[in-house]
Amino acid sequence: MTALPLATEKKLGLVIDLDTCVGCQACVTSCKEWNTGGYSAPLSDEQPYGADPHGAWLNRVHSYEAGDGAKGRTVHFPRSCLHCETPACVTVCPTGASYKRGEDGIVLVNPDTCIGCKLCSWACPYGAREYDYTDGIMKKCTLCIDRIYNETLSPEDRQPACVRACPTGARHFGDLGDKESAVSKLVAARGGYDLLPELGFKPTNKYLPPRPRKVEATTRAAPTEAISASDGSPAERLFAWVDKVLSA
Amino acid sequence: MLHILQMLLGAIETPGSFRVKPPYPKSIPPRIKPRGKAADVKPGTPLPGPQLGFVTTPDDLLVEDTGMPSRIDKAFSWDAPISAHGLMHMVITNAAKGDPYSIDTLFMYMANMSWNSSMNVPAVIDHLTAKDEATGEYKIPRIIYSDAYFSEMVPYADLILPDTTYLERWDCISLLDRPISDADGPADAIRHPVVQPDRDVRGFQDVLIDLGWRVGLQAFTKPDGSRKFPGGYPDYIVNHERGPGVGPLAGWRGKDGESFGKGEPNPKQLERYIANGGFHHHELAPEQRYMKFANRAYMEWAHAKGFLESTDRLVMQLYCEPLQRFRLAAEGHGAVTPPETHRHRIKTYFDPLPFWYEPFEEKAIDLNEFPMHAITQRPMHMYHSWGSQNAWLRQITAANRLFMSRGTAAEMQIVDDDWVWITSHQGRVKAQVKLMEGVNPETVWTWNAIGKRSGAWGLDKDAPEATRRFLLNHLIGELLPEREGGYRFSNSDPITGQAAWYDLRVRIEKADGEPPGTSPRFEPLTPPKGVGRSGR
Ligand code: SF4
Ligand code: SF4
Repeated sequence: MTALPLATEKKLGLVIDLDTCVGCQACVTSCKEWNTGGYSAPLSDEQPYGADPHGAWLNRVHSYEAGDGAKGRTVHFPRSCLHCETPACVTVCPTGASYKRGEDGIVLVNPDTCIGCKLCSWACPYGAREYDYTDGIMKKCTLCIDRIYNETLSPEDRQPACVRACPTGARHFGDLGDKESAVSKLVAARGGYDLLPELGFKPTNKYLPPRPRKVEATTRAAPTEAISASDGSPAERLFAWVDKVLSA
Repeated sequence: MLHILQMLLGAIETPGSFRVKPPYPKSIPPRIKPRGKAADVKPGTPLPGPQLGFVTTPDDLLVEDTGMPSRIDKAFSWDAPISAHGLMHMVITNAAKGDPYSIDTLFMYMANMSWNSSMNVPAVIDHLTAKDEATGEYKIPRIIYSDAYFSEMVPYADLILPDTTYLERWDCISLLDRPISDADGPADAIRHPVVQPDRDVRGFQDVLIDLGWRVGLQAFTKPDGSRKFPGGYPDYIVNHERGPGVGPLAGWRGKDGESFGKGEPNPKQLERYIANGGFHHHELAPEQRYMKFANRAYMEWAHAKGFLESTDRLVMQLYCEPLQRFRLAAEGHGAVTPPETHRHRIKTYFDPLPFWYEPFEEKAIDLNEFPMHAITQRPMHMYHSWGSQNAWLRQITAANRLFMSRGTAAEMQIVDDDWVWITSHQGRVKAQVKLMEGVNPETVWTWNAIGKRSGAWGLDKDAPEATRRFLLNHLIGELLPEREGGYRFSNSDPITGQAAWYDLRVRIEKADGEPPGTSPRFEPLTPPKGVGRSGR
């Protein structure tokens, strides 16, 4: 079985804002695009044009509804590896292929020593591991290690592909081990939280909760009386209409 | 209505409110008129101006002396006078019915008119194959179509011009069309080939430029008769000038590549775009960014760049004078007045002040019989994606459900995953239900354009896009019921001709005791030889 580092110099990870994620899937496809040519290449697709298309993706977004009636809201939930501090996905690995890096805390799979036994995917409670059926080995989010340290990219591109792609700025990347980092401050300010903390995996990635609604949604009011076509002057009609609209 | 409210609240172009992306705002309304009046149409020569534009008075209409439409789509006629986008959705129906006239050739590019881009799909499919009983000739004798995929429209074409995909060709997302600007400055972009085609295909723009030269159009021909753009579309992007110094791309103009907006063609322009990631963004100075409709710093700059015709402040119209001109015409004023059949309609809907009226479909049907609204939208991840069946996107969405309010469903004893019939006055389709909270109790909805016809788009015949999908298009009539005199108006906005997709009313019934599966299915399509994916 595989040992974890006692401590890591940095705790690199993502902060994902559930308030502003709109579920557009831009991060999902840009992740697949980068990583099918990067460290985890290829990310295979089974039956890509057939009856049951499926494949390996390192980041997926699921949409849920929470709450009933007018109190309900739609939440889009991006799901990828959380780069836990004490993850069983590493300790269960019989070959040492699944490991956590001492320098930055990133959890990786070595494709040369992974035997595809799938123990890690059973061990991960977050569903973050992806078995590649064509390659026969396990794939997972690498936090784009082949971007974040890549000096051939311009500085603003040295971030995970998903963070670069997000049109609403719902994804943030940084060192969560440094209390002064922008991501740590964001987590403190917005009440960022761990997924399933009771399991003791100590996820590095944090989620920011949806902000409370300023105004509760109301149920549909009975229609007010129709705006009648007055036969007054156009100005009179304009004011009547403005009054209606603004006082509704 | 939203913009009227914004005007009333002063919430346009102020910090934090609705803002306009340059090259907009333009003069209101823009001073471009659609061309195509009898005097404009001369065989063998191009129209003297654009075929789409902004009608502001009855004099601008493209109608015959009888008052009947000049254009096959009836745009800019009394049916839909201010139809600045045309009425693409009516062309096939009009052509097959010979109303306003018959045509011999229909030429279309990347428009899935036999499927999810048409209302009343079964009728449109019939129109595409209908024959004249007397002559045995097709009612639309020749159809030329260009597409990069084996879409549902391809089998109805006589001549296919196989297009490239976006990865294999040049494109220009121009300030002269619909650019990628943001409110802080104009931006435009290109696509450039990143892979070479492995099949016998040509980018459609290249084909058009070639055809333009072959038929001798001046814009594509040099005075000595040779090609004006021998390099095809990239040549055109760089060297075409709409006015002096104004071309498809605004960035890096001028011989030295240092001018923005206006400047001579720069032979290295495309290289500059590619080096910059495929786009150019000009950032406005802070004092130019707000109130652009009346901001001297912005307007003087925009005028110099050719975005604005003058620096006069632009006045937003609450009282819409052009609409009143049409209403006056309906009351008999002026030289051009609507035919008797259209008078009442024009007088009613061309109200210079906005008002609400019952949608035409609702007015024509019994709302007790069709109590629900049904609407669609395209999923964000497939927006503007012609290749939405691609290997990745279809793993995200390959089938569509009917989304329905949990409360409404409970009243009808419908539970999650039930199969239901959705019935409109036009027809019915069968769908599987997904219940949700976040939908109006009287509205059902689904994702648009997920469904494909079996055999199309290079998908296997049993793909979920063909077996677990449905379109609402089958339920939407393209024509309104007959008026007195037998005339049928298009199911479109009476002013703009915008297709009335959202006026649809339906009823939902449980499909009890029937085998699961969506309906209707259409006869599967078989790709022509040589079309399809290799290596499977
Ligand atoms: S999220 Fe799962 S795969 Fe990632 S580190 Fe934690 S346990 Fe391992
Ligand atoms: S790109 Fe951003 S908004 Fe879109 S799904 Fe991903 S996190 Fe959400």
